[in-house]
Amino acid sequence: MAEPRGTFATLAPWLRLLGRRRNRLLAGAGLMALALASALGLLALSGWFIAATGLAGIALAAGGAMTLDVYVPGGGIRGFAVTRTAARYAERLYNHDTVLRLLADLRGRMFAVLAGLDGQTLSRRRASDWLNRLTADIDTLDSLFLRLLAPAAVALLAILALAGGLAIGSPAAGLTVGGLLGAAWAWLTLGQARLGLAASRRRVDELERLRGRLIEQLQGLAELEAYGGLAAARRRLEAIEEALYADQRRLGHFAALGTALAGLAVGLGWLSALWLAALAWQAGAVSGPVMVMMPLAVMAMSEALGALPMAFTQFGATLAAAERLNTLDGARRDAGGAASLPAGAPRLVVEDLSLRYPEALTAVFDGFSLTLAPGERLAVHGVSGSGKSSLAALATGQLAPGRGVVSLAGLPIEAIAPEALAEHVACLTQHTELFDDSLAANLRLGAPGADDARLWAVLEIVELGDWAEALPGGLATRVGEGGRRLSGGQARRVALARLLLRDPGLVILDEPFAGLDSALAGRLAPRLDAWLEGRSVLYLVHERAEQTALPGVDRWQSLASEEAKGFVAPSGIFQDGARH
Amino acid sequence: MTQPSTSRAWLAGLARAERGRLGLAVGCGLIAGIASVAQLTLLAWLVASLLVESRTPTTLLPAFALLVALMGLRALAQWGQDALGLAASLRLRRRARGELLDHLTRLGPVGLTAHHSASLAHRVVDQVESLDGYVARFLPQRYLALLMPLVILALVAWLDWLAALFLLLSAPLIPLFMALVGMGAERLNEEQFDAVARLSRHFIDRVRGITTLQLFGRSAAATEEVHAAADDYRRRTLRPLRLAFLSSAVLEFFAAVSIAMVAIYVGFGLLGYVTYGPAEQLTLFSGLLALLLAPEFFQPLRSLAQHYHDRASALGAAEGMVALLDEAPRRGFEPAAPCESPALVELAAVTVSHPERGGVLKALSLSLAAGEILAVSGPSGAGKSTLLQLLAGFLDPEAGDMRRQAGLEVAWMDQRPLLIHGSLADNLRLAAPDADEPALRRALSAAGLGALMSALPEGLETRLGERGVGLSGGQAQRLALARVFLSEARLVLLDEPTESLDVDSEASVIEALMALAAEGRSLVIASHRAAPLACADRRLTLRDGRLEAVNHG
Repeated sequence: MAEPRGTFATLAPWLRLLGRRRNRLLAGAGLMALALASALGLLALSGWFIAATGLAGIALAAGGAMTLDVYVPGGGIRGFAVTRTAARYAERLYNHDTVLRLLADLRGRMFAVLAGLDGQTLSRRRASDWLNRLTADIDTLDSLFLRLLAPAAVALLAILALAGGLAIGSPAAGLTVGGLLGAAWAWLTLGQARLGLAASRRRVDELERLRGRLIEQLQGLAELEAYGGLAAARRRLEAIEEALYADQRRLGHFAALGTALAGLAVGLGWLSALWLAALAWQAGAVSGPVMVMMPLAVMAMSEALGALPMAFTQFGATLAAAERLNTLDGARRDAGGAASLPAGAPRLVVEDLSLRYPEALTAVFDGFSLTLAPGERLAVHGVSGSGKSSLAALATGQLAPGRGVVSLAGLPIEAIAPEALAEHVACLTQHTELFDDSLAANLRLGAPGADDARLWAVLEIVELGDWAEALPGGLATRVGEGGRRLSGGQARRVALARLLLRDPGLVILDEPFAGLDSALAGRLAPRLDAWLEGRSVLYLVHERAEQTALPGVDRWQSLASEEAKGFVAPSGIFQDGARH
Repeated sequence: MTQPSTSRAWLAGLARAERGRLGLAVGCGLIAGIASVAQLTLLAWLVASLLVESRTPTTLLPAFALLVALMGLRALAQWGQDALGLAASLRLRRRARGELLDHLTRLGPVGLTAHHSASLAHRVVDQVESLDGYVARFLPQRYLALLMPLVILALVAWLDWLAALFLLLSAPLIPLFMALVGMGAERLNEEQFDAVARLSRHFIDRVRGITTLQLFGRSAAATEEVHAAADDYRRRTLRPLRLAFLSSAVLEFFAAVSIAMVAIYVGFGLLGYVTYGPAEQLTLFSGLLALLLAPEFFQPLRSLAQHYHDRASALGAAEGMVALLDEAPRRGFEPAAPCESPALVELAAVTVSHPERGGVLKALSLSLAAGEILAVSGPSGAGKSTLLQLLAGFLDPEAGDMRRQAGLEVAWMDQRPLLIHGSLADNLRLAAPDADEPALRRALSAAGLGALMSALPEGLETRLGERGVGLSGGQAQRLALARVFLSEARLVLLDEPTESLDVDSEASVIEALMALAAEGRSLVIASHRAAPLACADRRLTLRDGRLEAVNHG
């Protein structure tokens, strides 16, 4: 490989992850080796047996006396036949179990990495495409053990053992076969990987590009058709497809080459074993039956080498997946500070803040300042894209300011421990985020230890008590993916109820009554007002409205309009663009 | 084109077009198989010559040389089988994708509204790709699994019919294995697919909400939960797997037992312990060859069993694709009759209904004069978009008469303008591929993007889209307007052009619309917002599937 060190460094974290299950992996590889050894034993012993009986038969026919124990080899043949089947079955089942365990490890690790990313990195991604790709990458990586490492290791071991065994009969045969199959092994693993590296590395990207381009064209089909741009659009798709297929053709040819070479190497291996065994037989070093056994044992190696070229030609895809996931790991934010926050309503100060997203030409904030006194209720208004969501992300420590200071209770936000921030600052984001879990589990996000009575109490406050009681599953009712089984208004109220279970000093409410009719909002407002008593509150709203349902606004402040800034941040999790 | 009725028939039709290459692949596979058999025959002959006839290895060199040649031939033939299978698969996938894309184009913007674009892309990209293993490997192997065992069986029968019988004893079981393996693979595939999909959904659900989890300080707990869900999935999947793997283990077992039986029979026969049938004629050559051929008899079947899941996933994918191909477009493709009057478009008592909404436009009549600005209002769901789609030709009326001026070109703009990955210029040239740079700049300033243009350091070459800069909603709308300026279209259809914009952006878009009208183009604006309606010459509202005049108020 061109940069073996680089390749190793890329895979190192994943190899370490595999290392945690070392014993299982060894056992799985052991079963693979056992299945292979039985196949080899079956063929070699059968050959030996037939040659021995053939020779004995000839001797008997010639009137000679000959004793041959037929029962031990016969039993051995039956034994190998049964072990081969049993070992292969056990191997498949056991290794499948292992792969699923590894998958759980991989997902757990990946999730931990994602949970450590900052808001800016998360918001840069277009949710669904990126997530599909992420899961595809994880699935690709889980072939590392079963398709790459284990078969290669078992094959190498088998080659060494075979060469050693042959050397007992004929050192020359051992050396020749060992050398030949060793070279073939190196080519089928390292060589094939090198050959297919570039093309297989591109594979995922090309599919992604084709998918992306197609989605774009489907969404804009009306315009394309009206302007007569369909043919040109089709040509653009076909160009991507052509690149994809050129690589697939290349990879397919490489893999076919590897498969043919594997067959050729095993063939030449058994042929040279036969030649050298015949010479050894002629010299009287080995018996006739052993001479027959030697090439047949080599022949059984096709089982060990056959699957290598296909898997290793695609090695680049595994490497690329590891690289992408490593990059993500590298984007993990600093662990944050260690300072704790005092109890009670804190003061939030934003001073001379500047923030610019990497893709945007102009800043979201340029010299923006804001002060929220302890216990005060400030409403910040601005059109979509003016930076409300960014402001919420900054105040919750999800986003680091480019320039300027965001401080809470006198402490810079980056000095505060993330756990303290999560405890003292509550945020109702503009987009209601519910999980595909039970109603109770969604509520308990706000207070993991809350008993059912508390959950019912907050549901009563948001007027969902009767509705939940009427549900056949009650609190155990699942809300569906993203809360899709609830109406928008119900989901919003569940999110509000979840908030009410908490006891924060600072509350950020991004359009708290979005999706609720004004009568309901009017009834909820005084209850929310009571809960907000004694806390600092930052409201984020679209338009300034004096007749607002928001309880107890002390002061209004405006964010500059979108048009004054030109470019806005790309949509992300903190913005409503991630709703699809 | 004949409508494909079932997914199997559709796949078979596609494969028929590739039967030349697939036939050659089978031929190559046969050559490789026969070369293998010839190698084994030579091996048995060499062993017999050495051990029985006591010839020295050096006198047998020509046979060794022939073996090397046979190995070369086998490698070549095997490569040929793989390469031809791949070529057939690539061509078939290209054709399948082409068919799907053609059909999507025929369905048009109206036909696609029932689908999510990501799921369509999944069908056209990923499902087509999942046909690969089926075409490249399974189809040739299906014939080889039938032909090669027959060749081998004939040879073994010629050597010793009793040994052939041992192989044949398992032969009636072979269709049974196939069914077992097939069912196992199919069920495994379905169950695995479902379970994996469920697990992925769980993972994606939690990742999507990661910000919320962070805000609630619950990331660590959620990480454990993700791990636990994956582990629970493992425990639930292993039970069906035990059964599914058993079916291929049965095949393995019979193969191994047959080999063992042949070995023991031949061994005992050679010793003279078997006095029945042909056993007495067994020689070291025929006995060894019968033994060597026994695993080869089962090898093609084992390969086929390995590729069986390719078939299952291809059939599953084909079902999704055929469902899409079976959707009928809601329009014919003959041009509308020309108008008799100077009007651009004339609708006389046209009726349109949507399957799930019932009648949307009912006996609606409209005549659109050149150069006029028509605004159509009405509550959401009243049929404003349907009327525009009808005018654009994306949809045919079910009843009534529609006439269009001959050669009328139409421009279209809706709430979500098309932004392609590429430069600003690429995006503009969608409407006019040959437009030169000054023309692009003029169009941009006419649409109110002149100031922005001059602020961009890379000008028209600025990249847009995911990896480029993001445009705000208002800017994207004005980019779409710039495309209208570039086009020669005399009829401009606008569906909620200012829906997602704030008041300032809306005003500037309307200003640009007025400039378009000033060029003498006709505008039809469907909107429920006040501002775009206010600028029209004629205002109509859709009520109950018909157009009514709006009193000036």
